[in-house]
Formats: sequence, C-alpha cells, structure tokens
Amino acid sequence: MKRSKRFEVLDERPVNQDGFIQEWPEVGLIAMENPNDPKPSIQIKDGKVCELDGKKREDFDMIDQFIADYYIDPTVAEEAMAISDQAAAKMLCDVNCPRETIVRLVKGFTPAKVVAIFNQMNVVEMMMALQKMRARKTPSNQCHITNVADNPVLIAADGAEAAFRGFDEMETTVGVVRYAPFNALALQVGGQVGRGGVLIQCALEEATELLLGMRGITAYAETISVYGTEQVFTDGDDTPWSKAFLASAYASRGLKMRFTSGTGSEVQMGYAEGKSMLYLEIRCIMLTKGAGVQGLQNGSISCIGVPAAVPSGIRAVLAENLFTTMADLEVASGNDQTFSHSPIRRCARTMMQFLPGTDFIFSGYSGVPNYDNMFAGSNFDVDDYDDYLVLQRDLMVDGGLRPVTEEEVIAIRNKAARALQAVFKELGFPEITEEEVEAATYAHGSKDMPHRNVVEDLKAAQDMLKRGITGVDVVRALAKNGFTDVAENVLGMLRQRVSGDYLHTSSIVDKDFNVISAVNDRNDYQGPGTGYRLNKERWDEIKNIGSALSPDYFDRGKGC
Amino acid sequence: MQISEEMIREIALQVIKEMEHADAPQEAAKAARLVFKEVGVAPKHTNNDEVVIAICPAFGVYQDATITGVLHVEVLRELIAGVEEEGLKARVIRVLKTSDVAFAAHDAAKLSGSGIGIGIQSRGTTVIHQKDLAPLSNLELFPQAPLLTLETYRAIGKNAAKYAKGEHPNPVPVQNDQMARPKYQAIAAVLHIKETEHVKPGTKSVELSVSFK
Amino acid sequence: MIQEQMIEDIVRQVLQDVTAQKGTEKGKNQAEEVKMVEIQDTPAPKSNKNNLDYKKDYPLASQRPELVQTPTGKTLKDIKLESVLNDKLKAEDLRISESTLELQAQIAESVGRQQLANNLRRASELIAIPDDRILEIYNAMRPYRSTKEELLDIADELEQKYSAQINANFIREAAEVYERRNRLRTD
Repeated sequence: MKRSKRFEVLDERPVNQDGFIQEWPEVGLIAMENPNDPKPSIQIKDGKVCELDGKKREDFDMIDQFIADYYIDPTVAEEAMAISDQAAAKMLCDVNCPRETIVRLVKGFTPAKVVAIFNQMNVVEMMMALQKMRARKTPSNQCHITNVADNPVLIAADGAEAAFRGFDEMETTVGVVRYAPFNALALQVGGQVGRGGVLIQCALEEATELLLGMRGITAYAETISVYGTEQVFTDGDDTPWSKAFLASAYASRGLKMRFTSGTGSEVQMGYAEGKSMLYLEIRCIMLTKGAGVQGLQNGSISCIGVPAAVPSGIRAVLAENLFTTMADLEVASGNDQTFSHSPIRRCARTMMQFLPGTDFIFSGYSGVPNYDNMFAGSNFDVDDYDDYLVLQRDLMVDGGLRPVTEEEVIAIRNKAARALQAVFKELGFPEITEEEVEAATYAHGSKDMPHRNVVEDLKAAQDMLKRGITGVDVVRALAKNGFTDVAENVLGMLRQRVSGDYLHTSSIVDKDFNVISAVNDRNDYQGPGTGYRLNKERWDEIKNIGSALSPDYFDRGKGC
Repeated sequence: MQISEEMIREIALQVIKEMEHADAPQEAAKAARLVFKEVGVAPKHTNNDEVVIAICPAFGVYQDATITGVLHVEVLRELIAGVEEEGLKARVIRVLKTSDVAFAAHDAAKLSGSGIGIGIQSRGTTVIHQKDLAPLSNLELFPQAPLLTLETYRAIGKNAAKYAKGEHPNPVPVQNDQMARPKYQAIAAVLHIKETEHVKPGTKSVELSVSFK
Repeated sequence: MIQEQMIEDIVRQVLQDVTAQKGTEKGKNQAEEVKMVEIQDTPAPKSNKNNLDYKKDYPLASQRPELVQTPTGKTLKDIKLESVLNDKLKAEDLRISESTLELQAQIAESVGRQQLANNLRRASELIAIPDDRILEIYNAMRPYRSTKEELLDIADELEQKYSAQINANFIREAAEVYERRNRLRTD
C-alpha cells in the first residue's frame, strides 16, 4: 500500500509508542463494566454477613470473609444496599449531600454495589465527588527522591530542595538494597533542612522497612501491598490477617503507615478470576479499611500500563481513588509511574486528581530527573516543575507546590549537603568531600556527581544498622556540628511518634510541627464557597512565578 | 443469507467454546522448527555438570515467540549454547504446575544436579535460580522481557553454567527502559494470561527431548 | 483462520452491543426508582463521658499534652535538644505508650473511625513485645508458614505472656481461616 504522508506522521507521534489492547472480559482484562462481575447482594443473619455479592458464607475466600467481618457494618448494610445505583451516584456528586452522609452509607456497600454505582458515573462527576469526599480539607503532594548511584549527598540535597518546594511527604528507595540505611538517613537530614516537619519513608522489603522506622530514621511506611484475589494475595506472600497484624505492629511503634494496591495487579499476575480490575480493587480498599489502616496508596501504581491500555482504564483509576476517600481513608493517588510517551496523555491523566485535589495528588512526583528515579520513572519529574507551577496558576488550583528562586534552592541544597557531611563525620562514616558538596549543590542529577567508594559506603551502611544508630544519634551529631535548627527538626519528628497524633487519617506535619489531619482539618466541601479555598497568601504565592513579567518592566529604563 | 441476532448468539456461544480449545494446535503448527518429545516425569539428577532449563507451559507449543517476537526456537538454542560453551550439559524440562517464572526456575534448580536452574516464560522473562534460595529470591532476574536479545539469552546460559561450576560471574548486564511499561505492560499481561491458561495445578514437570528442525 | 478471526470480531462486537443494550435497559428501570434520599447526620458515637473527643482534645500534643507519657515516664516537655546532648534522653524514651494509643483510639472512635480505633487498640497490646518477636510473629502469619498448632501456640503466648487478648483471638481466627482455605503449612 502506498503510505499516506499524514498517517506516516501520526505513526511517529508519541502516543503511538504506547501499547493499547482490546478488552478481554473473560480473564478480567477490562477496567469496569465487566458483565462477569458479581451482582450486588447482601444477607445479614444475627448481625453477621452470611451472603456477599451472590456468594454464601461457607464459600467465602479469605478476602470475602475479611470484608464481611471487618469492613461491612451490618447495621447500615441493608439500608445502604436498598439505594439504587443511580440514586447513590447522584448523592456522590450532589453538593447538597454532605460527606458524612455518604461515609455512613458506604460502610454498608458491597464491592459489586460500589462498581455498579461507578458504572453510572463519568469522570467529571467522579471528580466532583472526589473534591467532596477527600478526607483532609487541604490537598497535598508527595515526591520520590532516589538516584541510580544511591549517592547519599545527592539524596540530601534533592530532599532539601523538594521539601522547600512544598512536598509534605518524600519517599526514597534503593538501587542496591544494602544502601538503604544511608538513603533513609540522607533523606531524613536533607528533608528536615528543606522544611521542618516533612515526612519521609524508604520503600523496602517489609522487615527492613519496619526496622528503619523503629530506629527513628524514617517517619512512615507505604509499600505494604494488598491484592484483590486470594491467589494473588497468597503469591504476594501474605494474607489479610498477616497484613493487618503488620499494620498494628507499625502503630505500636508510633509510626504512620498506609497500604498500597491498584487496578491491574491481579490480571497482570494472571489470576483475576474473570473480574473487572475495578471490582478487585474495591475489595483491596475495603480490606484496607477493615484492617484499620488509616490510608491507602492507589491509582494502579506500578501496574498503570495495564488499565491505561484498555478502554475507560484511566476512568477506573480515578474511581479507585474516589472509593478510597468514600471509605474515609487517606488517599495517596498515584500519578507516580511512567505511563505514556505522550505529554498530552500524561497531563490529562493527572488532571483527574489535580483538579479535585487529593490527600497526596502524586504518590511520588519525581523530585529527581526521571533517569535517576528508581521507581522506574514517574509521570512528572523535576524538568516539569515549571509546567506544574503554571498549571496551578492557570487554573487557580493548589497542587501543593510553590515557586522558588534559583538562589534559594542553591542555598538550601548546599546546607543539606553540609549537614549530611557533618553527620557522616560525627558517626565515622566515609568522608563526604567538599567537591561532593559543591557538586550536589549545583547538580541536575547523578550524572553530575563524582563517584563514591561504593564498597566502603555499603560497609558503613551495614555498620550503621549493627551499631544500632537511631534518630537520637542523628540529632546529637547535627547539634554538635552547629546545625541546631536541623537537629531540632529531626527531634521534632521523633516527638511525633510519642504523641501519636499523626497516626490519624491523612496526617501531615506543618513547619511548626502541628499535625494537620482529617481529624482537625476535615473536608467540609458542600459546593461553591465551601471546602478548601486558596487563601490570599497562598494564592499570591502561586501567582508569583519567576517568568511572569511585571508591567513596570516595559517602562523606559527599567528593562527593555 | 439472513443473519438474525439469534443466530449470532448461537454462533457466538459456539465460537467461544471452540476458542477455548481450538487455538492450541494451530499456533503450535507455526513453531514447527522446534520439536519436543516428552520423555516422562523429570527426574532429579546428582551429576553436577548440568544446568536445568525450565520452560513455562505454553513455551514453543501454544506460543512461539517472546513479547518482541524473538522466536522461542532461537531463544532456547542460545540458552543451551551458552551452557554448553562452558562445557556443561543443558537439560530441558517443561513446568506445568505454574506459570510464575520464579517458581519454575526454582523447580529447575531443585531437579538440577548442580543445583542451578533457569526458568523462562513464553513472553521471555527469565530467572537464574539456585536450589537453596527462597522461591521469590534468585541469582539473577531479567524482568524486562522486551529488552532481552538473543545475545542476552546466550549470556544467561553461560552465567548459569558458571554458577554451576562454583564461579561468581559478573551479572549479565541489563538495560533499563522506563518507557517499556507504557509500551509493553498490557501485552505482557495478555501473554501471561495465555500462558497461565495452560497451567495444570499439581502436575509434575516433564523431561523433554528437544530437537531443532 | 481468517474466517474464524472475522467471526470472532463480529461476535465480540455483537456481544458488546448486547451487553451495552442490557446496561441501558437496566439504567432505565433504575431511573424510575430514583428518589432523593434523606440526609441524615452522622450518628453520635457511643458516648462515654470520660472518652476523648476529637473536637476538643486533638491533637493531643497541643490540646492535652498532660495526658501523654512515654513508657519510660517522660512527658512531651522532656523531649528537648538539651536532654539529648546531655544524654538524659535516649531512643527508648521516644516511644509511644499503651495509654497514649488508647487515647488516640478514643479520638478515632469519636470521629467515626471504628476500624482505625480497633487497630490502635491491637497495637497498644503489642508495645511490650520486642521488635524481633514482632517480626517473627508476622512471618509466622504469612501463608504456608505455620501449622494450626503453631499459630494457636503463638496466640497462647500473646495471651499469657503479654495479656494481648485481642491479638490472641485475631491469630486464632487466622488459624481457622487458613485451615479452611488451605493456607497452613503441610510438612
């Protein structure tokens, strides 16, 4: 066939690098509206759920039973299930129907009921609902701080810059597992230089992640995965009971934590039982709630390529975020993985959470260049900072970030690198040289950093665990070397675990170490003029991007 | 010919039924160059001069190429050649009880006289395993199937043989491409589902005599 | 092959249409059922006069600091930089106490989050258990790790050694479920 020049150009467009696939409902390769999904039903006998979505109690798998006994409130179930799908959908986007009313009824919904309700809604209606249902009134944002070399000096500098730019939570992970203690330490120090009160975590295998938390090096945890079919849950080497126990273990050490799940994981692992991705994800959210965990990271997360490839997949991803908020849980709403070659698609996908606002719009905006992102890249990275600031300004939306100047960022990065240099020296770790401090101050990414002696670093990182170095040692090292303000901040984070205020739903900690959560900052949106509104101070901050010229600039003698 | 909805429904049902059974022999016909002969339940060997390669249930039978179209016949040839280059023997088995590459490789390692096994899925995902490790752990994992070339497969065979000889080889270098996910993740899921359809739970792995035609 | 492909395509299309149509019909029926649901206020939580209330007592750190003490008897005021520097404050002094978790559970209950409250109460029972033992118990609860007997022994240990009644029952329940769903270790 002779090729059309127009089609040749289209073929080269980034979007045609993405993988798309037709639905295959029989195996669950379908986002929503799967004719094979169970039909909503519930039967309560003597205060116990004895039938759930057409399945009898004796046939319950582990997840069914956990949902029936720990999620469903038998006192509202019959009332809630009697509401028609459409009526429930209308309540969700009706500004006159308060959040509390829905939160109460949701306790009585079954997974199939929730999917049936969402099948009635388009994305604009879902965004309306998300704006109302988000647990914390003030929206916020989280970032990833990693690099391919696991260079601690760079992590400290990047962490400081990201905290300074406005992220309230920061997540790191490792290339080489044995580097973990250093990555966590570097992010803790750097983060507290950028802004006191920023929360940090290090994504690792369960036991080590908990250990770093217990030692006071990290402040919270997130990578505790749950799945929607029994087979995949077991393949993930856990059960709802073991995961619920782990949740309590974290709380017993005064540590904030949330679970992680997402559409597409079950079909990706080959055992979706022929159910839609959204149906299975609703089960994950319900069991998270049942386990008594305060929140959930979802929005497909590392499986985003699967829902993104099928029709209505990005709508399903929005629906899963929405149900998390309806279940009165904190939501860290994804947008954290490379998902498309197309900048248009990347932006449209993020608007679903950016416009209504969520507890954490990204559960990992890349605070480093994507080539350094050890979570395999995020949907937005450092090179998109200015685009993001302009989106906030164009639409008068609070996406959690603020404009900064180059001078400020250079200064804060330098201070973080020096603070870590002092801590390393005090604790007897391999030297951080002046050359490294200088490079980290001005770096774009790890390509701009001199190499460290990895063998020595790894030895010292293991030594840090063996010696039982804790947050208290870090505080002391900082204070002894003149970084009193940073020491105060790290101590401020340790104090949080004593009061436990930040164990509550959707907690963040402000620069004065006040906890802001869905307890003292409850979302009270009820239509125009209510809920979260930008105050003058914050709007002035967002408006004031560096590239906007003052009209005075054009006056004779002032610029041109 | 008049086609009524009724008729279509009937045909639909029938086709769905047929589709469940019919795709296998036809796809297998395409992979004519790779001939497997099943020679019974795969035994456990004690001679330490071998590496066992476990292929997943659909490999070379119901599917004939990896996610990027590299033919299974070539992939297997390179893996075996890599092992033989180090002076060891490669023994091929088909795992039927799982389509999980880690468990397949672990099964191979447990049957292998050297305690070293390789597991490979039809889509191309590969693992080098050792019998003493936990199933979800590994010696080397190659999770990004779209980035694996024939050269990589040969190097994987070679490294597995080196582990079998008690050496500590440098891991096979792998590329990392963040954009592999948007392009291939969903297709990978489809291929995995199609493989998983041929899993027979509780069935022992079978020894294969492999010939290339 | 081509024919089968064609038929498959047609059939898929038809099935899709059929399903879509079904959906519409269903939608119609439901539209008739729609009626405005009356808005109800959140029911007041079972009130116990001594329990904390999120409206006046949260955050504890600023509203009720006098109620917060670490297991070693330190108060929030004792946690200051000076004490770290003169070694009066150690890592053991920076842990949450059973009573603080109970107060936070009451806060969670007062704001309608029963499951979170239950989790915080389970957690308060685990404070006394050493880190290593916690990790061992978690691992024992993973699939195929333990026999029923082993799980029941852990439950007894929690009950007798640590008075962790809720956790003991939770693990006994897990043992039953694992048995029914074949997730116990079979040697």
